[in-house]
Amino acid sequence: MGNSKHLGLYMLAPAFLFVIVFFLTPVLLTGVFGFTNMSTATGITGGSYMVSQSSMQALKDRHDLSEIAKKLSQVIYTIDEEGLNAAAQEGVDAGTLAELKAGFLGQSFQKRRAVERAIKSLDNRPSSTRAIKKLSALFERSVLNIRYDTEVDLFAAIDKFGLPLSVAEKTAMSDVTYTGWVFTTDNFKRMISLPDTMTTLINTLFYVFVTLIVFNTGFALVLAISTHYMDAASAGFFRSVWLLPRITPPVLYVLMWKWLAWDTGFLSTVLGPLGFEPRNWMLDTPANAWTFIILINGMVGASMGMLIFSSAIKAIPSSLFYASEVDGANRMQQVRHIILPQLRFPILFITSYQTLSLLTSFEYILLATEGGPGGATEVWALTTYLKALSNYAGALEYGYGAALALVLVVVGVFLSILYLKLFDFKTLTAPPKIE
Amino acid sequence: MRILLDNFTKSFGKLTVIDQMNLEIHDGEMIALLGGSGCGKSTTLFAICGIHKVNGGRILFGDKDVTNITSQERNVGVVFQSFALYPHMTVEQNIGFPLKLRKEPVEQIKRKVHEIAEMVHIEVLLHRRPGELSGGQQQRVALARALVRRPDVLLLDEPLANLDATLRLEMRSEIRRIQQETGITAVLVTHDQVEAMSMCDRIAIMDEGKIVQITEPRDMYVNPVSDFVAGFLGSPPIAFLEGRIEDGKFVEPSTGVHMPLSADVATANNGREVRVGIRPEYFQPGNGAMIKGRVSFIEAQGRETLYNVMLPDGNILRSIQGSHSPVKIGDDVEWGVDTAHILIFGQDGLRI
Ligand SMILES: Nc1ncnc2c1ncn2[C@@H]1O[C@H](COP(=O)(O)OP(=O)(O)O)[C@@H](O)[C@H]1O
Ligand SMILES: [Mg+2]
Repeated sequence: MGNSKHLGLYMLAPAFLFVIVFFLTPVLLTGVFGFTNMSTATGITGGSYMVSQSSMQALKDRHDLSEIAKKLSQVIYTIDEEGLNAAAQEGVDAGTLAELKAGFLGQSFQKRRAVERAIKSLDNRPSSTRAIKKLSALFERSVLNIRYDTEVDLFAAIDKFGLPLSVAEKTAMSDVTYTGWVFTTDNFKRMISLPDTMTTLINTLFYVFVTLIVFNTGFALVLAISTHYMDAASAGFFRSVWLLPRITPPVLYVLMWKWLAWDTGFLSTVLGPLGFEPRNWMLDTPANAWTFIILINGMVGASMGMLIFSSAIKAIPSSLFYASEVDGANRMQQVRHIILPQLRFPILFITSYQTLSLLTSFEYILLATEGGPGGATEVWALTTYLKALSNYAGALEYGYGAALALVLVVVGVFLSILYLKLFDFKTLTAPPKIE
Repeated sequence: MRILLDNFTKSFGKLTVIDQMNLEIHDGEMIALLGGSGCGKSTTLFAICGIHKVNGGRILFGDKDVTNITSQERNVGVVFQSFALYPHMTVEQNIGFPLKLRKEPVEQIKRKVHEIAEMVHIEVLLHRRPGELSGGQQQRVALARALVRRPDVLLLDEPLANLDATLRLEMRSEIRRIQQETGITAVLVTHDQVEAMSMCDRIAIMDEGKIVQITEPRDMYVNPVSDFVAGFLGSPPIAFLEGRIEDGKFVEPSTGVHMPLSADVATANNGREVRVGIRPEYFQPGNGAMIKGRVSFIEAQGRETLYNVMLPDGNILRSIQGSHSPVKIGDDVEWGVDTAHILIFGQDGLRI
């Protein structure tokens, strides 16, 4: 007995493994990435430290260290051993260098002209202006756009640059110059502050609920009920027709819609003689785009509800229909008093299942409008995808994308729990009260 | 209300289930459609209530031809074999449903539902759902729903088939009581001859879509028109012997059993091959024509005891006896047949 108890667990182990590998891990990783600023710029491995235009801007903006930022952005000229050695290597006259060292070692100049002036003031100065320029270039010092592997290297370089930093300044410096990813909650702050987020949210709600109510549940019900009252052959035919979009490959299916809507497509061709300008009907206006998006999704989405509702209606004993008939119910009354009450749970099921799947599906929108025109049909999942995985400029924001995805995951889990409560599985699975 | 089926024909595709049936149900009468499974009883019932469209003939309610009227407009009450209560409605809503569809005022519906619930004794169940009721209670609700709008005819399709034995007995008399109290015309479909005999004013016995005989229960029992009817009615059932009429007697050649017959039957059919039906109550110790056999089976039914007696040729006669006799299985007995009550049928099954 004890063994058989474990046997079940063993048999379930592959399933657990699948759940962990293909569900939990992605969710956890999304959760982790959502709290980072990973992007193409940071890479997904570690980074280095670099003083750049943008990091100095950040130093000014975030840490109010504009003085330092200004200095670090500049090029200075310092007469140091390194420069002198390099000049010796280049074959500059030793006398010149000795004199330069004696007179200026350790001095810095803000301007090139100042160094050149210093060199010119030497007794043993190079003869040509070109040589002077060349020599002065060897003392050019800058920390700009140089990658340092560690912050120690960076600080050493800055030190040498002649700008010793305090501890607080160092912290700020390493913060702004680090080019790798760091953990941060900025993604969520950004999400809240961006006006686009609200637009996307409204788009998503509109998309999900209109498609759900009009097609995935509403139209599916209409189909299921009307085929119920047909004879078996026509009912089967109608149901098959509505299954076609579902079994057509999505790319092909959307392509057909696009062909329908193109400026040289069906609609334009047919409406042309009626005086309508040929145009891309799908991307013409946001309203048109939405109409197409909802139609495209709805035609596919209605079939599942239709199947579930049809089989639920079939499961109603025919005697109930007979009884209601002799009780005087016409078809509308049968639908209202017999069919719909019996479909309560299928409707609830489809509603919840389809909310979740509409919430996360964006493939048809991506294929049809790519969120256009002008982001009018961009829904949350699509934004996530575009931000994290596909961007015209090639700058992918993994961290921000993951944060967006995390919101979807949280909403999804919350809705699932809510629906489970609504379904009230306890009463559904309760033993019948009649023996 | 009187119901008339006039040459009513019903077929499903190529299969003709009922062919030109004629049946008149008198006003206020309860009639049984009795027959084996698949003989077309439910089909007939569903044609009367309009669920099935007929393929030929007419159906009249009173003098009104309802053949082409939908079931919604026929004003019939039907109790289905499975009761067909609406599972999502309370008992009260179930019963009130036909009235609600007619848009009767809520108060009036409530009053009528309570009246009828009282009549079928389910006042206390009104707020339950069908799933919370026992079989007998569901039956009563179904009955109430069928009766609440005072239908022209009450149709019952095997109403007792889904109940256990004691409930069946109780509901048998309940249904009859309610039918008599309301005076409604009723059709009871059943395959159980006891139900048909005990509940109905008349029985129409059906075989393969035809009404074989229609008469009062007692008369059908005593004067069956065919061996089919004789075999269908009576429990324990009638037993048959095959033989020939010779010289005023029925003779079974293999065993030599012979029974004297009434003179006019015997002379008219001399030499004819016949089947003789003997009911268990007419095969008793001490009766006239003696038959020898061996007791092969004994069933104590309480008040009475049933004996199966096997004749030498393997035929079985049944005897039901009130007093308990000391006979055991395997005993040889010689009991007599009351020849005044034997039923004689020709080879075609028809009564002679
Ligand atoms: N809807 C139907 N379609 C096809 N055949 C049917 C249908 N209903 C009944 N039948 C056939 O008609 C015959 C009589 O059925 P029914 O009236 O239900 O018998 P019963 O006397 O047992 O109630 C049966 O052979 C049955 O198979
Ligand atoms: Mg039947």
